[in-house]
Amino acid sequence: MKKIHKIFDHKWASTLLWIVLIIVAWEIAATVVAANNRSPENILPHLYQILAAVFSTSKVSQGMTAVMVVLTSAKATILRALAGFLLGITAGFFLALVMKLSGLLEKMLFPYLMLIQLIPVLGLAPIILAITGDINSSRVIIAAVLSFYPVATNTLAGFKSVDQDKYDLMYTYAAKQRTIYTKVLIPSAIPYFFTGTKIGAPMAITASILVDTLQGDGGLGCILSQSLRHAMSIYVFWLIVFFSAFVGILSTYLMTWIEALISPEKRGIRKARREYKKSAVSQKVSVCPQISIRRRKAE
Amino acid sequence: MSELQERGIEIQIRDLGVTFQDNAGHDVQALTGVNFDIYKGEFISLLGPSGCGKTTLLRTIADLQEPTEGTVRISGMTPKEIRLQQKFGFVFQQPVLFDWRTVKKNVELPLEIMYQSKEDRSKRADEMLEMVGLKNFSDHFPRQLSGGMQQRVNIARAFGIRPEILLMDEPFSALDEFTKEKLHEDLLRIWRQTNKTIVFVTHNIQEAVFLSDRICVLSPHPGRLSAIVDVDLPRPRTLEMKESPRFTELVYEVRGKFEGGSV
Repeated sequence: MKKIHKIFDHKWASTLLWIVLIIVAWEIAATVVAANNRSPENILPHLYQILAAVFSTSKVSQGMTAVMVVLTSAKATILRALAGFLLGITAGFFLALVMKLSGLLEKMLFPYLMLIQLIPVLGLAPIILAITGDINSSRVIIAAVLSFYPVATNTLAGFKSVDQDKYDLMYTYAAKQRTIYTKVLIPSAIPYFFTGTKIGAPMAITASILVDTLQGDGGLGCILSQSLRHAMSIYVFWLIVFFSAFVGILSTYLMTWIEALISPEKRGIRKARREYKKSAVSQKVSVCPQISIRRRKAE
Repeated sequence: MSELQERGIEIQIRDLGVTFQDNAGHDVQALTGVNFDIYKGEFISLLGPSGCGKTTLLRTIADLQEPTEGTVRISGMTPKEIRLQQKFGFVFQQPVLFDWRTVKKNVELPLEIMYQSKEDRSKRADEMLEMVGLKNFSDHFPRQLSGGMQQRVNIARAFGIRPEILLMDEPFSALDEFTKEKLHEDLLRIWRQTNKTIVFVTHNIQEAVFLSDRICVLSPHPGRLSAIVDVDLPRPRTLEMKESPRFTELVYEVRGKFEGGSV
């Protein structure tokens, strides 16, 4: 039992277990589906069939293999998602800043921000399409709208997380309002901002794919609906499902990585750890390192 | 005492009263009729149980709190004028460090706000960290330090700006006894080196007796000054003095000043 606990101390062990469990469940379901349906690949193909589609050389559309179709259209979708995401998080950050600067604006805006979340993205899409008259900018806008909300609320929460002691300290230094923002409030909100982007990034990708399905001019969603209508191999659909799941997860990890890259504290602690490991190996000592991360006692 | 008076008065507190409103809208007197002077270069403690207004008094000196009645004058000026001249060093009960800044950058923060050059800041921060014995930790981050070390950083930061007056609000109350004793000695050493006025809030009688030249004893409901006790233990103070009969006498004397008897 102890041994099992020890294995699961490693994050990858539990990840691996989940992957195995999902594969087993999928295969059981696929076997059941295959036994009871005439065209099981439309409902749930075996994983090896999907894998085979990845490496298949047969052309599904305009001389392109399934993987080529997916990757070409993915480029358009991801670029639009990225554009919308960047737009959304910038707007989200500045709106949080403005709400923090003006308490009145916060009272007026904050309760209604949630409405954006409540409108289903597919309902919003045709309206925005009608307003802009351009499918490309609608895609970007919808991706922006969806990633905007988690960033705005989390960043605002970050601004509000600054405790009174810090304001008092800055007051005793006679610090200017601008200084308080640049030296205290914004750095405090950065981890919260990244929490928002971690939620927003996969949402922007989902939004971009969904809007693709509305009007056909390339993009994952467009190919996805064609594939579902049997205009091309159904395996293109399955490839897109896996591909977008992968990109969504990757986008969140990418945010974590960027955060670690720019956060001085995380960088410093990583460096200290590396050095400690190095010195521990060379000296073969096992003294408690001076780098245990201790949370400040909250009183 | 006479030696203290010769140095001149730094802070003058006259008929000071502070009234708050509680949630129900009733007036609560945190402080009333407080009158006393603080001399230049003095180590003075504000001692009392919770609710006696000692922190309110300290915050009023620091311009973090407006007086409802009476006045505070610091070298003839208002607390606000002194604050705007950046002459206060304030040490809070919590270390109030910035997690994303290294220890050294934390000490440099107020110097950045005061537009000091990069070289000056760096030099001053190194000096201060050496003084509090954290020279080897300047590139660490606050969360990598123990509570006692964090409070040292806080003290280094407060002395770093060369304040005229150092205001300390129960800075050691969250620390264990061993760390506290060490920091007491450190604080007295730094104080001797810099010769600043220190106003020190505490609810610990031994701590007040060990550190101070004088102790202002405050009583609650409403918060008021009940006595000022001179501490005539010789300087520099050593931990052995805590075992001396005079120390015990002083602790006993201070305890007797609390209205309503023992605390």
